[in-house]
Amino acid sequence: MIGALDMLLLAALAAIPLSALFATTRSGRWLLVAAYAVQFGLLIMLQPATAAHSALSFQLLGNAVGWQMDALGWYFAVITIGSAGFAAAYAAGEWSEVNGRLGLSLRWLYAGLQINVLAMLLLLASGDFVSLFIGWELTSWAGLILMLLAGGDAIRASLRYIVYAIAGGMTVFAGLVITQAAVGSLQFDALHAAAPSLGTGRLWAIALLFILGFSVKMASMPFHLWQAPAYAYSPAPGSSFLGSISARMGLFGIALVAIKLIGLAQLDRLSLVTDLVDLRGLLTWVAVFTAILPTFVAMRQNDARLLLGWHGVGQGGYMLLGVIIADRLGSAGGLLHVFNHATYQAILLMAVFAVIHRTGTADLNRLGGLVTRMPLTFLAMLIGIIGLAGLPPMNGFVSKWMIYRALIVDGHPLLFVATVISTLGTVLSVYKLLHNTFLGQLRLEHEQIHEAPWSMTVPMLLLCVVVFVTGAAPGLVLQYVAAAQQAIGLEPVRYILGGIESPTGSLDMLWITAILFAGFGIGAVLFYLIGGRSRRVHQLDNYAGGHFLTADVRYQYSDNFYAGLMHRIRPWYRGSFEWTESALVSALGAASTLARGFFEQANPAQWVLVGTTVIMTWVMWYALG
Amino acid sequence: MHWAELLAELTLMPLVAFIVGLFMVLMMRKIGARLQRRIGPPLLQPLYDIVKLFGKHTQTSHGLLHEFGIVMAVGGYVAAETLLPVPGMNGIAEKGGMITLLYLTMIPSLGLALGVGQCANPNGSIGISRALTAMLAYDIPFVIVIAGVAMHFGTTNLVDVVAQQQAGGIETWGATQMPLLALAGLFALQGMLGKQPFEIYVAPAEIATGPMVEMGGKFLGGLFVMQCFQLYTASVLYVTLFLGGGENWVSFLAKSFAVLVLPISVAFLFPRYRTEDVLTMLWKWPVILGLLGLVFVGS
Repeated sequence: MIGALDMLLLAALAAIPLSALFATTRSGRWLLVAAYAVQFGLLIMLQPATAAHSALSFQLLGNAVGWQMDALGWYFAVITIGSAGFAAAYAAGEWSEVNGRLGLSLRWLYAGLQINVLAMLLLLASGDFVSLFIGWELTSWAGLILMLLAGGDAIRASLRYIVYAIAGGMTVFAGLVITQAAVGSLQFDALHAAAPSLGTGRLWAIALLFILGFSVKMASMPFHLWQAPAYAYSPAPGSSFLGSISARMGLFGIALVAIKLIGLAQLDRLSLVTDLVDLRGLLTWVAVFTAILPTFVAMRQNDARLLLGWHGVGQGGYMLLGVIIADRLGSAGGLLHVFNHATYQAILLMAVFAVIHRTGTADLNRLGGLVTRMPLTFLAMLIGIIGLAGLPPMNGFVSKWMIYRALIVDGHPLLFVATVISTLGTVLSVYKLLHNTFLGQLRLEHEQIHEAPWSMTVPMLLLCVVVFVTGAAPGLVLQYVAAAQQAIGLEPVRYILGGIESPTGSLDMLWITAILFAGFGIGAVLFYLIGGRSRRVHQLDNYAGGHFLTADVRYQYSDNFYAGLMHRIRPWYRGSFEWTESALVSALGAASTLARGFFEQANPAQWVLVGTTVIMTWVMWYALG
Repeated sequence: MHWAELLAELTLMPLVAFIVGLFMVLMMRKIGARLQRRIGPPLLQPLYDIVKLFGKHTQTSHGLLHEFGIVMAVGGYVAAETLLPVPGMNGIAEKGGMITLLYLTMIPSLGLALGVGQCANPNGSIGISRALTAMLAYDIPFVIVIAGVAMHFGTTNLVDVVAQQQAGGIETWGATQMPLLALAGLFALQGMLGKQPFEIYVAPAEIATGPMVEMGGKFLGGLFVMQCFQLYTASVLYVTLFLGGGENWVSFLAKSFAVLVLPISVAFLFPRYRTEDVLTMLWKWPVILGLLGLVFVGS
């Protein structure tokens, strides 16, 4: 009997060959966008009040392997298909024609996008640890297709990614093996039922292995180095899709295994040395540092794509933080931030790639003044950065507000302060992005630039509408977040259409948005109706302290934008980040030298055999013992 | 609440803020004058200045965003004032709270930054980069203060914060209960107002007046209005968090003006720090005070 979930998976599967077939023509690509719309429709019809099961199942070593989708997976799936659909639409018109001529394989691009969607759907619909692992590996390898397409820098970034991904996959696999050994089954329910009676040693092993494995995908610190370049150098639709949702699969894994299956009560048994430090406490700080440090790394980037890539890593920290605090408000904030981030990050990457499409560069020192040439793209980026910086009235503010509130109410003022520091860093960084791209002096070579084609601007602007509407009326998304919370055994958030109502401080974004626009209206009336008429002047007609600006003199201030700040915090970068990075690199170097030594001096095959035997013995010992 | 009553509040709150803000600007200039042994401007001088700036013949615009930046700078504050409870009027304070207010007051700064950005003047961009750096400097101690106050009162609702302080009298005021945080807040206030020693981003001798470099006529007039709102918002927020808010208009205004006397006096007596020293200064003393204050709140 074929159910709704099977229909969805079949549609996603069937769309892969279609993508390869139709991606080379413009009408074909719009057909593929329609295919995403169909998948989205099938997903909406699925709406799982109770988990929807798939008819596909088989037996593996006495374990029933199957797929089902609950409200958590459904929520992530909506974002996944939505991101892919917008990315496909963005590239459907002129973008693909130009890049296809430049040698990009459109067949691989569109097929790769669809393969990613299928892999993620399989992961999100996993019904047991075997299907979870299958989905996990498929997702990891599918991501590689999109990353490799651009060639050049992308190849190096992809190779780095795949090393991390394999390590993460192996860690998840080890977690799976130990679960089988400890619980005797690979069913989700079995772990959930057995968790309270497991010894802390085994529970530690299971929780830590899964969380570590999933954290690699999320690029939580200290596994954060791979993500920004890997996502940034992918072609536009790939980058926008990967940046929006790919890393969040790790968060899905943590929410599923740590929160739903192991459960908060059991997680709290896991303390280090004394009861003062426990696994959750440790993870909250990992999350906070993931929110802060990559943000300040982003601020230093001169490539707009990398800047956004690093922010993607940082924003993941907020989501992890919310989910790990796991109270009603915090976990809702963390999960809501997944949706919000996907929407504004897609806009931002699309806007940056639109600029690249027109100017050929994302180098923040080679752009400037484009607001007069690409006003719609500017508007999209403006709305995107307000979202990313988490300022009202865009949706990023709401999810961050929920996390802040949860931290204060739960008595974590230091975590609250730390998250706000990350937000402030984001404000500085995104202003630099906007300023260096669209504001300041327009370069001579960009005089003739004009707006990106409608096929690129319309998806961006539609997403802007989503960012704005879900910012003003977050209740629209919170109903699905509440269902996802229930699916992983948390108390659902109490929401209203405009946000949160609580005796200790509410948020009603409908009012905030209305009042803000009323304020702008009053400001506009004051400015435009009172006083003399203003006269537009040429951009070079400005005051330069006795000097005169001419078109051939570059008088633009964008390089090292926050010189004063960097002067103060640069030693910290050297002191901590660069040291950590070099320590990791030298540790890897030492390991590889050691390995090469073995390889050159001894019979290589023998060592491979020894290594494999050791690993297999360890696995069997756990699996059978 | 009846909708007409609410509408009246939403109109009156920004209007009152603007008028009080004008007098705060006047007080600032008067204090400066007295410290420099001058008489200082007459009562309505701030208003005359705004009228003069709006009425100027030469109004130079660098484009739509330059204009919209000013609209955002004024409009953002007009909106923010409705979240700040005053005696007898709460506006929509209960629908936002202190975190929302903190972020809403960043909107005018963003507007200013956008407007300056479009002017394509490097001096303006340098000023904005310094202003945003200063924001990073003073907002870190300020959020520590916010966190402490929210923890202490157990709410982020400003109406409740005021009510709790007024119910218990002076001994339950934020400043009495959390003197360290109140002191840290005063430091942050100095930075927030952008007054000496933290006014490097407008340093005229160095970067040709920074963000204001391309602002003349009603562009500068708009920023003048913004300054009125800014003085009002900062002092009233401080009064709300630490000095029991306003029991009535007399005590409310007395407290609000009194809060500004110290930062303004300091401003006229100090030279300025360099950008990196602003960071050092604000990340060191007020942060240490604030963290100590948090320890006391937590225990």
